Amino acid sequence: MATEPLQSTAERTTERLRSVLHNLKGYAGITEDQNNLMGFAFIAPNILVFSLFLLGPVLFAFYVSFQEWSILAGAGEWTGIGNYVDVLEPLPISYVDGSLQWRPEVFMDPSTSLWWYSLKNTFVYAIGTVPLQIFGGLAVALMLDKRVRLKKAYRAAYFMPVMLSGAASAVMWRWFLAGDGVINGILPTFLEHNWAGDPGTALGGVMLMAIWGGIGSNMIFFLAGLQNIPEELYEAARIDGASRWHRFRHVTWPSLGNTNFFVFVMAIISAFQVFGIALVFSQGGPVYATTTTVLLIYQRAFEEGAFGEGAAMAFLLFLLIFAFSYYQYRYREETEVDY
Amino acid sequence: MARSDYEYPGYERSGVSYWSKTTILYLLVTAGALWMTLPFWWTLTTSLSASPTAATVSFIPAEFTFQNFITLWERPDILLVRWFLNTMLFAGAVTAFNLTFDSLAGYALAKVDFWGREKIFLGFISTMMIPGMVTLIPVYLLLVELGWVNTYQGLIAPLVAQPLGIFLLRQHFKSLPSALGDAAKIDGCNEFQTFYKVYLPLAKPALATLGIFTFMGAWNNFQWPLIIANGAEMYTLPIALFAVRNQYFAEWGLMMAAALIIVAPVIVAFLAAQNYFIQGMSLSGMKG
Repeated sequence: MATEPLQSTAERTTERLRSVLHNLKGYAGITEDQNNLMGFAFIAPNILVFSLFLLGPVLFAFYVSFQEWSILAGAGEWTGIGNYVDVLEPLPISYVDGSLQWRPEVFMDPSTSLWWYSLKNTFVYAIGTVPLQIFGGLAVALMLDKRVRLKKAYRAAYFMPVMLSGAASAVMWRWFLAGDGVINGILPTFLEHNWAGDPGTALGGVMLMAIWGGIGSNMIFFLAGLQNIPEELYEAARIDGASRWHRFRHVTWPSLGNTNFFVFVMAIISAFQVFGIALVFSQGGPVYATTTTVLLIYQRAFEEGAFGEGAAMAFLLFLLIFAFSYYQYRYREETEVDY
Repeated sequence: MARSDYEYPGYERSGVSYWSKTTILYLLVTAGALWMTLPFWWTLTTSLSASPTAATVSFIPAEFTFQNFITLWERPDILLVRWFLNTMLFAGAVTAFNLTFDSLAGYALAKVDFWGREKIFLGFISTMMIPGMVTLIPVYLLLVELGWVNTYQGLIAPLVAQPLGIFLLRQHFKSLPSALGDAAKIDGCNEFQTFYKVYLPLAKPALATLGIFTFMGAWNNFQWPLIIANGAEMYTLPIALFAVRNQYFAEWGLMMAAALIIVAPVIVAFLAAQNYFIQGMSLSGMKG
């Protein structure tokens, strides 16, 4: 008799729990339709923005690349692959007397073809900056991962250039590398040179600035990657008598696989799109020495109004970047190591 | 953090080898740090010099004058205040829109069980593959049709959402327990209230990181304002600096003063909230 109210309380609680659980299954009485409605309401602004400013424009750019576009009329005249032909000719490979001939001079002379010349500049820039940005960032991360005093201050120092606007750093380096600039003031007299004004060294100046600005962000990526390597791997390697180099080669390096892949792909993609620093540093000059591909696209489209040709160039570069990323991705799948 | 060799038996924190290695390490790190920071020093000393030459500014400045800043302030073609306000408005609006749209989408993609969710998420993420310069021309042509060239809405609209932000916030919302939302719904919250009252306050650290990162990106953005802001009254600071560079080329003191005005707020903000900046950077690397 005395236990009965207790029992009914327990029963009531169970009943309540059951109804709560039942409701939970359907998200507290919210139906599937309501979920669909809410879900799409939440992502609607993004769908609108992405289709208006990303996906739609890609299709539109493809369309424009086959047109002679007039900004005043807001319409174009169909020219087929004319824009692509104009951009790509003369080809660096030509068919003469029944055999293919390699014509490297196409890359070397801006008056022959600005497209191939700018592509050469872009490749020189990428090859010169990407490895130094990456290995510089890795070296700094490895040094700062140790017990270094004032670690936070060092990290801040290396990160400072990363936060700089490309326009600001280009203006700064233009002065440092000018004929009467700071760098020449430090260098011994026989090395003094008008670095920014000489077509032979201007691109090198842009690259120096890019390396300076790129090490810090890679350092951060590598520091994060190094934190994720389990300490046991190093312990095991030490017990096996692995030297410092062997521990780096067989533990640190393979464990950084994901970081390496990400950092490398990002660095290459942004190197292929280098634009602002080259424009502000020297406006593509002197004598097209710093005209990179995106800078050429900008000048063709927005300075000369040749939007169709600009769009064609943009697509060709897109194709190049895509092919590279895809190749990297496949290569990585083949060589991936799992621990 | 990897433990150093010296914490293991057989290695001593003393002896010639230890000290020489430590010295070399510090020399290298310090030399690198100097290379990273000297340009900022040179910019400062040049901006404070009336007639900068390599000799007067490189290490210990020989002159000290605010003349360059006064000149920048007084030249009628340099609209310093307007450009500063433009940049604040542009970066502020871009950040506010991004945080709103990205957190809405990030929440829905993490916590609302709706049709095609994973596929839509993949679609969003793959838009990160589209290089900016492909969309530059068509978006510009679109804004020409809309009559938005050289307007604030033209500056801001194409940048109001970014896949990276959605990705980061989705990860964050996913890491929060679903039981919180279930409890809120049993108490009678609808989906929006659950998002706004329960989950959003818990995402404050992630929002702060993303916000600072987005603000910095917009503050420094060069490509888009260059194309869309044609008139001096619409310039943001990086574009204004480019214009000043073309106008007053080789007046290095003046140009470094202008550069410093863009750089200083970011550096001050960074030194005040270093961890947010660095976290934002390393988070943006996590998508790899």
